[in-house]
Amino acid sequence: MHLMVEMIRSSILSATPVLLAGLGGAYTFHANVFNIAMEGMMLIGAFTAVAGSYFSGSWIMGVLSGIAGGLVAALIFAIFVVSLKTDEFVTGTALNMLALGGTTYSLRQLFHVKGAFMSHAIQSMPRWNIPLISRIPHLGPILSGHPFIVYASILLAFVVEWHIFGTRYGLRLRAVGEDARAVDSVGVSSDRIKAQAIIASGVLCGLAGAYLSLGYVTLFSENMSNGRGWIALAVIILTRGRPMGLLLMSLVFGLFDGLGLSLQGTIIPPQFTQMVPYIATIVALYFYSREKRSARGGKETPTT
Amino acid sequence: MQDQFIKMDSITKIYPPDTLALDKVDLEIQEGEIHSIIGENGAGKSTLMKVFYGMAPPSGGEIHFRGRKAKFATPREAVASGIGMVHQEFMLIPSYTVYENVILGAEPAGRFGTLRHADTKPKVEELVDTYGLNIDINSRIGDISVGAQQKVEILKLLYRDVDVLIMDEPTAALTPQEAGELFARLRGLNKVGKTIIFISHKLDEVLELSDRITVMRKGRRVVTVDNRGLDKAELARAMVGRDVVFSIEKAPASLGEIVFEARGLRYVDENGVIRLEGVSFDVRRGEIVGIAGVEGNGQYELVQLVTGLLSAQSGRVFIGGHDVTGEDVMARRKLMCYVPQDRKVSGSAQNMSLVDNAIMTHHRLNPEIEDRCEALLSSGRCRAFTSRLVEDFGVLVPELDAPISSLSGGNQQKVVVGREFMLDTDFILLDQPTRGLDVGSIEYVQEEVVRRRDAGAGCLLISADLDELFSLSDRILVMSRGRVVAELRPEATTREEIGEYMLGAKDAQEDWRAREEVGK
Ligand SMILES: Nc1ncnc2c1ncn2[C@@H]1O[C@H](COP(=O)(O)OP(=O)(O)OP(=O)(O)O)[C@@H](O)[C@H]1O
Ligand SMILES: [Mg+2]
Repeated sequence: MHLMVEMIRSSILSATPVLLAGLGGAYTFHANVFNIAMEGMMLIGAFTAVAGSYFSGSWIMGVLSGIAGGLVAALIFAIFVVSLKTDEFVTGTALNMLALGGTTYSLRQLFHVKGAFMSHAIQSMPRWNIPLISRIPHLGPILSGHPFIVYASILLAFVVEWHIFGTRYGLRLRAVGEDARAVDSVGVSSDRIKAQAIIASGVLCGLAGAYLSLGYVTLFSENMSNGRGWIALAVIILTRGRPMGLLLMSLVFGLFDGLGLSLQGTIIPPQFTQMVPYIATIVALYFYSREKRSARGGKETPTT
Repeated sequence: MQDQFIKMDSITKIYPPDTLALDKVDLEIQEGEIHSIIGENGAGKSTLMKVFYGMAPPSGGEIHFRGRKAKFATPREAVASGIGMVHQEFMLIPSYTVYENVILGAEPAGRFGTLRHADTKPKVEELVDTYGLNIDINSRIGDISVGAQQKVEILKLLYRDVDVLIMDEPTAALTPQEAGELFARLRGLNKVGKTIIFISHKLDEVLELSDRITVMRKGRRVVTVDNRGLDKAELARAMVGRDVVFSIEKAPASLGEIVFEARGLRYVDENGVIRLEGVSFDVRRGEIVGIAGVEGNGQYELVQLVTGLLSAQSGRVFIGGHDVTGEDVMARRKLMCYVPQDRKVSGSAQNMSLVDNAIMTHHRLNPEIEDRCEALLSSGRCRAFTSRLVEDFGVLVPELDAPISSLSGGNQQKVVVGREFMLDTDFILLDQPTRGLDVGSIEYVQEEVVRRRDAGAGCLLISADLDELFSLSDRILVMSRGRVVAELRPEATTREEIGEYMLGAKDAQEDWRAREEVGK
């Protein structure tokens, strides 16, 4: 029983960064911007969050600088893709490489360490103990005692769902994704909406990065995003950018990520245990999108 | 200063590298007038309007609006100044509903930008009713016909409270009745002081509606005249530079064997609405069979059943004596040529070059453009083939490698029609083949259809244009509520009679629309 609780608890923890990045990527998905830079935005966010927290001694500053890191990366992406009309794929790849190289280099220059940087001076996010719930046996440890961003991101999934499908901005955003010229023709700048979508994805990926380095663990290590941005991208594409689908699928990822961890130390080689969450996500996505497709009869459901 | 309302001063537009679309055009539009612009395909009408609306930056010249210098860099500024436009190539979001398309850009929103439909939905419904547009505002753009999309494009403009209405071929896909209702409303708007700029190839409409008429040719303004005592032939001559024949001469049909047959077609769409019921008719070699009907009475579904894009619940389709009911599109295309109503989506691939668009279907069927090795296409032959098409059909093109989207609307249509006519088949299916063509080109296409008929091809023609049906068809079938309700000979019937058959459907539309239970 204790093991079960521990697993579910850890699955929520490891689902959060995928969910956050995925929610950000939902914006670019609907604006039809092929955003492969999420991995890089997340990594940069993780680094700037640690740096911010270390130098200021405050976790709030850490989170803010994590967001700022993602934001700057998104601005670069937006300038190239929206204003200069460069190829999204090439720009995104370049940004990812810049993020990996840049954070590794800065790690050595700024903190004079290789591989990973740990310090007591890094302030991590506080954990929230929810008063009554934390005392319920089994359920308490699952629901309570997480960094606050965990709760915020679940709430955010509902907010993003409403924002993309229930607001004026959302209507325009999805229209831009389908035919940008048509949106321009009614007097709404499609470029501006695209840029806003990219910035939203940068902010949320930066937050995901900050969570990784200040919430999930309290350290920065090279390439610590470790493919989560890519998993988020796959989840977005196959759930067609639906925030509720993202919520579900990132929990699946988290569950198997936890399972993979608990299989470590058994006879299964670690390389294989590390593959578990990724394989499971792909399989789950297959069933999820097949289900969706047959439910819709090959078409999208009306949104009004 | 009334005549300073809109003033365009030597507007020049060069599309790179060297297409001179507008050559120092001066144009004045007065407040509260209905001003028509006519001209051949590629004359620059749409370009001039796009420049004014901020969709295409001019290469030179000045625009004054309400006495002040205006340079609309984007449509946003034009919209803010009270200008609205119906675009010739529709600006619609395919997966959105009619309603969502109408409100896009002028959405009713409450706190935090939450959409509020409570007031606007009835308002849009009401607009549909008062303008007699007969469309369901909850259907998706991707599922409705071009005629219905045309109405949505108009509806978008009517929903916004604008002072200047630019309408670029708003009636190209409407039936005469629908156009008539639209004009009545436009006059009403004009009475309350709205200025209307109207572009059309239908000279009767232009004469009926306008206060003044501007004729353009090859990127220049030829003349602007008051609409007093003008006649159609005169206008056509000013446009094309020669006399135009408005009604085609044709010999009586000499009928051959049956080349197309529909037997008992029944189609029920995914919402359970019966779209076609018991449709049976045939087309013989050497005749042109026209189909008349108010938009949305099954013509669209019929065409899709014939081409194989939809499959019928029951009934069979025969082309050239073969039962093609279960066959795929390709198998059918070997037996027929087909001009779709929608040149932008089904008729062409907008981003691909003219050559690529010209050889579509031919690349699978026509040995003429193959390389010595059969699996390859010879690019030299493809180009030669395209040049021939361009020449025969008088397509105005910048260069063969330009994307087809850089051609004017009418010229794109010529490419599609030309491509299909160059497939030498015995059965020809034409769905609004002259949509958006100028009078000179219509004459050419219609003559070509008759030529093919006389050479022994059988032709099925669906058209919203009754004049076209009367002048081309040997027999006219009238469709209503998914059935063929009448078969008439053009020399033995009148427009009024056909209209009655068509409209008989209109009254019964309500109960037809009420969903019918099927499959029980
Ligand atoms: N995006 C573009 N790029 C290059 N050339 C273009 C582009 N759009 C239009 N043109 C060219 O400009 C000329 C004028 O086109 P325009 O669309 O204004 O004609 P039009 O008078 O509206 O014709 P139609 O009656 O066929 O609609 C044509 O020769 C066309 O090929
Ligand atoms: Mg045009």
